[in-house]
Amino acid sequence: MMASGAVAVDTQYNYDIVKRFAIMALVWGVLGMTAGTYIAAELAFPFLNFDTAEITFGRLRPVHTTLVIFGFGGSALFATSYYIVQRTCQTRLYGDLLPKFTFWGWQLSVLIGAIGYMNGITQAREYAEFPWPVDLLITVTWVAYATVFVQTLRRRSQPHIYVANWFYMAFILATAILHIFNNLAVPVNLLSMHSYSLFSGVQDAMTQWWYGHNAVGFFLTAAFLGMMYYFVPKQAGRPIYSYRLSIVHFWALSFLYMWVGAHHLHWTALPDWTSSLAATFSILLLLPSWGGMINGIMTLSGAWDKLRTDPIMRFLIASLAFYGMSTFEGPMMSLKSVNALSHYTDWTVGHVHSGALGWVALVSFGSLYHMIPRLYDTKLYSDRLVITHFWLATIGIVLYITSMWVSGIGQGMMLRAFDDYGNLAYTFVETVSFMHLPLAARMVGGMFFVSGILVMSFNIFMTIRNAKLEQAAMEAKIAAKMANAGV
Amino acid sequence: MAEQQHGKAVQTTGHAWDGDLQEYNNPLPTWWLWTFYASCVFAIVYWVLYPTWPLGKGYTTGIKTITFEENGKEVTTNWNTRARLIKEMQTGEESLKQKAYLDKVSQASYQEIVNDPDMTAFVNSMAKGLFGDNCAACHGVGGTPAMIGQYPNLGDDAWLWGGKVENIEQTIRHGRLGYMPAFGTVLDDAQIDALANYVLSFSEDTVDSNKAAAGEKIFKSEAAGCYYCHTTGATGLYSQGSANLTDAVWTVADVPGADGLDAKLEAVKGVIRNGVKREMPSWSGRLSDTEIKLLTVYVHGLGGGQ
Repeated sequence: MMASGAVAVDTQYNYDIVKRFAIMALVWGVLGMTAGTYIAAELAFPFLNFDTAEITFGRLRPVHTTLVIFGFGGSALFATSYYIVQRTCQTRLYGDLLPKFTFWGWQLSVLIGAIGYMNGITQAREYAEFPWPVDLLITVTWVAYATVFVQTLRRRSQPHIYVANWFYMAFILATAILHIFNNLAVPVNLLSMHSYSLFSGVQDAMTQWWYGHNAVGFFLTAAFLGMMYYFVPKQAGRPIYSYRLSIVHFWALSFLYMWVGAHHLHWTALPDWTSSLAATFSILLLLPSWGGMINGIMTLSGAWDKLRTDPIMRFLIASLAFYGMSTFEGPMMSLKSVNALSHYTDWTVGHVHSGALGWVALVSFGSLYHMIPRLYDTKLYSDRLVITHFWLATIGIVLYITSMWVSGIGQGMMLRAFDDYGNLAYTFVETVSFMHLPLAARMVGGMFFVSGILVMSFNIFMTIRNAKLEQAAMEAKIAAKMANAGV
Repeated sequence: MAEQQHGKAVQTTGHAWDGDLQEYNNPLPTWWLWTFYASCVFAIVYWVLYPTWPLGKGYTTGIKTITFEENGKEVTTNWNTRARLIKEMQTGEESLKQKAYLDKVSQASYQEIVNDPDMTAFVNSMAKGLFGDNCAACHGVGGTPAMIGQYPNLGDDAWLWGGKVENIEQTIRHGRLGYMPAFGTVLDDAQIDALANYVLSFSEDTVDSNKAAAGEKIFKSEAAGCYYCHTTGATGLYSQGSANLTDAVWTVADVPGADGLDAKLEAVKGVIRNGVKREMPSWSGRLSDTEIKLLTVYVHGLGGGQ
């Protein structure tokens, strides 16, 4: 009975592609987070460079960001969007080759990018370090992704498009625009991996941070909100709190995010009006951001006991809490006076990670825990290990954020402190030696987080293994029955 | 929840996806809506006060202004970060304090600064920052570099180019070129070995005294000519930046770090074979006269200034 049910689901939906992306999300997650912990260790203990260019901070840092954002986050988004769009449209994913192409195109881009960075091949744009040939591969892959997604939506057997799909759609569209405009460049020659940006000076910086912040806005926020809008109500077994709120905050978020990138360039050569305007839009963005958090958390209202009984729910709700915290912190940091203290310090790094670890990673973990057993038509190997993972991750995040507050705010305060003579009280190098302890604590936080995803990977590995064993046993049983019946 | 206090059961939108996926149609939370309106008011106030919206080739300047002094005249502009910096440097409490001291110090002679405890304290406070941001990368925090063999230690009382204030000022202002030719092709191994024994004999008593005696002859011979720069007493010349070899202070060969006599000899031989070529850049283009003055007093005070 179970086996025949699984077969039916497999033909109704294309789960194979979802499985591939889900597994790659974990593979890149383990690699990327380990790389992150290693460079965190290098900052606290520089001898870990071992005087080897390929593993210095400057080379490994883009490896870390690329593997976690595009490898882990990107694969998780492909997996969940392909899963959600099929289930909420009740139709099979469009095409068979095209989704496979998006898989290989995406994985290759991440792999080539990472190997290139270690060998010094980068276009030196933060979160867009890919050299131009990889940018082209990403563009083609992305067009294929958009085609698969839109064609699947068009073939839906549901009159309405579920809210999660709006967010994925906005993410696909905005990422395409951002990727293309930020990577407009002229190759040195057709055989060279290097290129020159089409923009120069402050316009170049402005384009880069328009891209940089909207990568946060549409890749790391809108898309993961899509994930949230499906998995939170599914896991809670309750309707979304407010359809009206979802409409209002979706459009407000989409409209407002595009304006705020220039708040990364306060107190620079960028004209004051540009960055001030960005700061005001950042303040305007606070409540629309919180709309998603409210809709997620309030969905659980009336079923709060699930936080005690359902470890997956804990991941999802904790992710929303961290999302709320970092979307509050962000607008505060976008004000010039706060930014004067926080910019160029570890406070920024802590802020990014409260979003990246607290929101993006936790909501992905929760969603993968929900989705993977369903893909394989089985149960999770161990709920206890999910709880273990939850605490390892939470302790890791809290350690990470608090140590970066100490390091960043401490350094910021030291750099602006005066002594009795009106002189700056500290030299730069004194701030660096002050930061040693918090940097070491941050490294420990990273180790907690990596241990968490390792526990998860083991749990998922055992889940898939058990599913395969169960299926084999079931098939053997059916075969025996059929033989007995003399068919 | 406020919306459920009205006694009406909240309805879903009536759609269902993927089996049980539904949506309530709760109204927007009141506190959320009003806080959003408040953030809009904040933004509008900000737009009125500060430069924000682009207008063709210009932009809305905002009504907030900053008044500062330029060439003795009062200038008022719309609020902007550059004007804010100028104003803060002109009127800020810390800035005025520092300026008063700087005016005093720039007029004073070295002797007057050293004799005045208040001025000395100011110089040490400001020069510590200057030193940390400009000099410490090579000379180390506090003038003591982490590794022997790289850059001279400024915390001891040995001076390569002289330790008087005028020497130190000249060193900072114009930089220095430390040069000793390589003798690896001029002298054979036995000669270099003898020389190393001689050089080490000033600080180590376990060297081979016969070799040291032979080394002394080479040192003072025309073939090697070491004494041209290091003098016959091997005490060095400030005018050449040549090291005093008799004081057990090492700035190139890492003799203190070498384990055992053979390693110490090898360290010295390395210098004789390969020579020395190192440079301290000129700071006159990068630091102001007053800053150089402050650093001179500071460095003079770090070690035993002469």
